[in-house]
Amino acid sequence: MIAGFRAIVDDVGGGLLFLGQMFSTALHYRPKSHVVFDQIWKVTLNSLSTTALAGFFVGAIMTVQFTLQVKEFGALGYLGGLATSGTIREVGPLLIAFMLSGKVGAFTSAELGTMRVTEQIDAVRCLGANPFQEIILPRYIAIILSSFFLLAVGLFMSIAGGLLLGVVFSGITAEEYLRHIPTIVTLPSIVSGLFKCLVFALVLASICTYKGFTTTGGAKGVGRAVVATAVATMVGLVIADFVTTLIAEAILSMAMQA
Amino acid sequence: MIRFQRLVKRFGTRTILKGLSFEIQEGEILFVLGTSGTGKSVLLKNIVGLLRPDEGEIWIDGQEVSRLSEEQYFPIRKKCGMVFQHPALFDSLTVFENVAFGLRKHYRLPEDEIRTRVRECLALVNLTGIEQKMPAEISYGMQKRVSLARTVAVEPRILLFDEPTTGLDPVTTNAVNQLIFDLSRKLKTTSIVVSHDMHCALAIADRIIVLDQGQIVAQGTPEELKACEVPLVKDFLSEALEAGLEEGKI
Ligand SMILES: Nc1ncnc2c1ncn2[C@@H]1O[C@H](COP(=O)(O)OP(=O)(O)O)[C@@H](O)[C@H]1O
Ligand SMILES: [Mg+2]
Repeated sequence: MIAGFRAIVDDVGGGLLFLGQMFSTALHYRPKSHVVFDQIWKVTLNSLSTTALAGFFVGAIMTVQFTLQVKEFGALGYLGGLATSGTIREVGPLLIAFMLSGKVGAFTSAELGTMRVTEQIDAVRCLGANPFQEIILPRYIAIILSSFFLLAVGLFMSIAGGLLLGVVFSGITAEEYLRHIPTIVTLPSIVSGLFKCLVFALVLASICTYKGFTTTGGAKGVGRAVVATAVATMVGLVIADFVTTLIAEAILSMAMQA
Repeated sequence: MIRFQRLVKRFGTRTILKGLSFEIQEGEILFVLGTSGTGKSVLLKNIVGLLRPDEGEIWIDGQEVSRLSEEQYFPIRKKCGMVFQHPALFDSLTVFENVAFGLRKHYRLPEDEIRTRVRECLALVNLTGIEQKMPAEISYGMQKRVSLARTVAVEPRILLFDEPTTGLDPVTTNAVNQLIFDLSRKLKTTSIVVSHDMHCALAIADRIIVLDQGQIVAQGTPEELKACEVPLVKDFLSEALEAGLEEGKI
């Protein structure tokens, strides 16, 4: 129990040191922009269809759920607004980020882990380069930017999914579904949804690059790193979700009072 | 010249290197033999600063290097090249870019000079016409040779080889051993070769060190080792003979 706790503290500490090293590298060296764009292109292209699909179904599920509840009150007119607001502020970013962690996170930690155990990262250092500058930083930046973009696309698709199910399942017109979205989904809630996406992108990028970079123990080690990435990312996302919700609520209520 | 003094390396509670002390003279070929997992790779990585010793000192050309920062280590790595156990080629770069990588980082050279140098180094390991291939498209033996070319390209005065011939066919093995020998004799390169291969150690080494569980159990010239009574060394020797290889063939 105590050993397990210590291992977690060690892990988090190691992760923070890793991030510190990355930021200090970022201050001194600029990663080559074409490498960063290559990575952005790769990550985005790899995961665009998956996230779009995930987003679509998250929106669809939310609409079905809300239909069952608002129908009792005869408030189907508010369905669109409620479902969209719930999706964008809470479950949408979280579920789509889970999806992304399975794709981007697993891929990145496996790639970096393989580079580590096949001594490519050592070779970079021996040949006079800085692996943070050459390998880690471009990926880190790319994952943050593309995850943020992908999450936003996913959220947009969730509105489409919700709309479709609103028409097909709940039997209201598209116009009715969309009418209350602007009144319930306010600018602050969109901002808080996007803020979440950004934080999730940071969590995702940090954990998979750290776990991949610190892989040890051959091919088995790569497998372990991928599993550890999945677990740590899920836990990290849930915690980040909790924290960002608190922050967003606090800011929203402050804005209301003002 | 490289000198180790009571070098200790631990991972957690496990002590891998238990106080090694030895010296390598300029231009010498030193073979480090030992079974898998005794810490041979760890030893080499301590020299180039990929790992840092927990205790003891490493002197390279009169400079104590084990406490240097990562930036201070760059010039050391320029004169001290390492060929890894894995080919360790960058899989997103072509063979050409792999070999050019160190040249671009360590030196500022015009592009045509880099091209000439890369071609020379690939020719050195008997590879031509594969510059534009990706590492995944060439065989393991070729990858290992490209990796050798990549390290040699930087023209280090000290070369560290981590099992350069493991997994290679006999013909390529001989070629690689010949290359190590030639580099050291013609360019006065100092070489440390980690290997299991007692046979080629006897053939080309100036001196041999046998490691067991992080300690030196025997050292000396090939002639001295042949007379050695340590059981592990005898095992290595008998294996070299059993393989049916005659000494000094290379
Ligand atoms: N980065 C590391 N972290 C923890 N243990 C390591 C690390 N590198 C090597 N080891 C351990 O050190 C021992 C010696 O490894 P190594 O030097 O690779 O052996 P070999 O003599 O076969 O090259 C092994 O037991 C290995 O598990
Ligand atoms: Mg080894």
